[in-house]
Amino acid sequence: MAQIDPTAQSLAAASDARSRGRLESETIAGIVIFLLCILLIVCARFISPALGGWSHAETTLLLASFLIVVAFGQGLVILVGGLDLSVASMITLGGVLSTTMVGSYDAGAWALPVVVVFCSLLGGVSGFSVAYLKVPPFIMTMAMGVIVYSACLGYTKGSPRGAAPELFIDLMKAEWLGIPVAIIFVLLFALAGWLVQKHTAFGRRLYAVGSNQEAAYVAGVHVRRVTLSAYVVSALCAGFTGMMLAGYANGATLRMGDSYLLPSIAAVVVGGSSILGGRGSFIGTVGGAILLTALSTIIQALGVPQGWRTVIEGMIILIALLMLREQLYQAITQLFSRQH
Amino acid sequence: MTVTTAQPMAPGWKRALSDGAMIITIVYLLLYAIYASSEPSALSVFSISSLINNTAPLALAAAGATLVIICRGFDLSVAGVVSVTNVVMAVMPLEGPWGALGSLAICLAIGGFIGLINGFLVAYLKLQSIASTLGVMIVCQGVALVILDAPGGWVAEWVSYELTDVLFGFLPVSGLILLGVVGLWLLVLRSNLGLAIYAVGADETSAGLSGIATRRVRLLVYVGAGLLYACAGYMLSAQTATGNPNAGTPFIILTFAAVAIGGTSFAGGSGGLIGSMIGAATLMLLQKVLFSTGVASFYTGMFQGLILVLAILFRGSIVALATRRGSG
Repeated sequence: MAQIDPTAQSLAAASDARSRGRLESETIAGIVIFLLCILLIVCARFISPALGGWSHAETTLLLASFLIVVAFGQGLVILVGGLDLSVASMITLGGVLSTTMVGSYDAGAWALPVVVVFCSLLGGVSGFSVAYLKVPPFIMTMAMGVIVYSACLGYTKGSPRGAAPELFIDLMKAEWLGIPVAIIFVLLFALAGWLVQKHTAFGRRLYAVGSNQEAAYVAGVHVRRVTLSAYVVSALCAGFTGMMLAGYANGATLRMGDSYLLPSIAAVVVGGSSILGGRGSFIGTVGGAILLTALSTIIQALGVPQGWRTVIEGMIILIALLMLREQLYQAITQLFSRQH
Repeated sequence: MTVTTAQPMAPGWKRALSDGAMIITIVYLLLYAIYASSEPSALSVFSISSLINNTAPLALAAAGATLVIICRGFDLSVAGVVSVTNVVMAVMPLEGPWGALGSLAICLAIGGFIGLINGFLVAYLKLQSIASTLGVMIVCQGVALVILDAPGGWVAEWVSYELTDVLFGFLPVSGLILLGVVGLWLLVLRSNLGLAIYAVGADETSAGLSGIATRRVRLLVYVGAGLLYACAGYMLSAQTATGNPNAGTPFIILTFAAVAIGGTSFAGGSGGLIGSMIGAATLMLLQKVLFSTGVASFYTGMFQGLILVLAILFRGSIVALATRRGSG
């Protein structure tokens, strides 16, 4: 990085100006999505008087906290141009490991390090295969998901037993100054996630790898190592979500992760990140996660049957993709103009 | 990549067999020998035809997925199409041979329509194929739940008896249907469309420059895939004789595994339907072998996932070796 020639410097300046403009549009998109969340919750009062108040907002935030944590990892993987389809199984793994450990050893304190070790190892295997062995990301993570799920199935013989560790029951159920601890935790998590993604060298490297691998490589970024670490973080976040869910429900089920896979992708896309990688902000993703959760609580209150709820979920993904299409065109034209 | 892009220009069925399909055929025969040695009844007409019946839905679905993958795309909507056609068959049973034909027409219309949506989103609106077909798949699964909210219903008796039957004492009907698809594919391979599919998958820009209507080819590929998924749903209904709104879910991982072990590269531009169909047969046979050797059924998924990854790694190392030899 020491010897930068003048043309590179002016290029860097140009890209700086571009990223500043982009940041501004990202901030605006973030504000819009949070305004939408508030509007949605306030308008819910018209549907049912039980909704629309502070308690509804609190419940929404609490339920969104799971999605926010998974979506952080998912977002990092999408940022480097991948997709993590194994999060559902990793959530189940986190839940199953933490509850069965408490059940058999009565040693809840060990649950956290065990989940951390298992999830980072498995995420590391996925990341290694994607980054070094060039297996397509969605195939690798899909296969990993099936493998982990079937391991959980075999390990628990089909029905997980045990109870959640005290620590996670406290995290999800306790209150501090009248505010649920989980909400305080997730706000801190969102802040930390945003800082990591936007203001650390690690975060900037993720953006570099996602927007142009070759350029990142030339600039001295360890492209494969950075890609690998994104998958490790994603598996860790999913495993942690599993522990949070186990604490919330005081138990684990084998299907507990399923309802978070598609929303985790949807939250990232709705939050304005490009599904092709290289662009997006965690604040947008947090907004997307809260918006999706608010929407689903309202749909649930309306008593819409499961089938229509699923249809709406799919439509949201498609609509978000269509709305981002304009940006896609820009990205493609930029790509071509850079080549010529 | 030079090796794989040069191949599509060779005409006819020789390529179809030489590209990965040969390897998987040998693997299949070896596996069958193991199966036959542990289970002496494996060579009877009954068990062969029941194996073919089991294979038919997955083989058809894998054939459809292969079309899209050759064209350098991914299609997750297979789960959606199979679920929707399955519940439609169970909710609306049409009796008799004409009823069966009517049901097939309805299924094909559903599959073709969903394929059309996929193709439009990917080819004309330029959406990323994984994400948009994921969205379409979720919508379809929702629709399947709306039509039938819990497993149940009965598929028409004619369909469930005749389509799983054995003709003249040795010819399973489902095998005939698979042969029909293979025949159609060989015809397509000899046409301009066949060439265009490989060309678009290998290099879209140069395919466009040499006068191929790349967007139309892509659209057609997704429609063709949708039609094949619909056939898969039709044959699945014939086999299970009942409806299940989640019938298609296991198909996602299995179709991609079948395509991968059948020798089609996920980078597009190479491979073929026949390899994928034999790949599907191998996966179903493997399930039987695992079952007969007494591996706990809990761990079947683990084997499927491992096979998927190993097949890709195996293929990747072969391509790497071939390119090294080609350049050196």
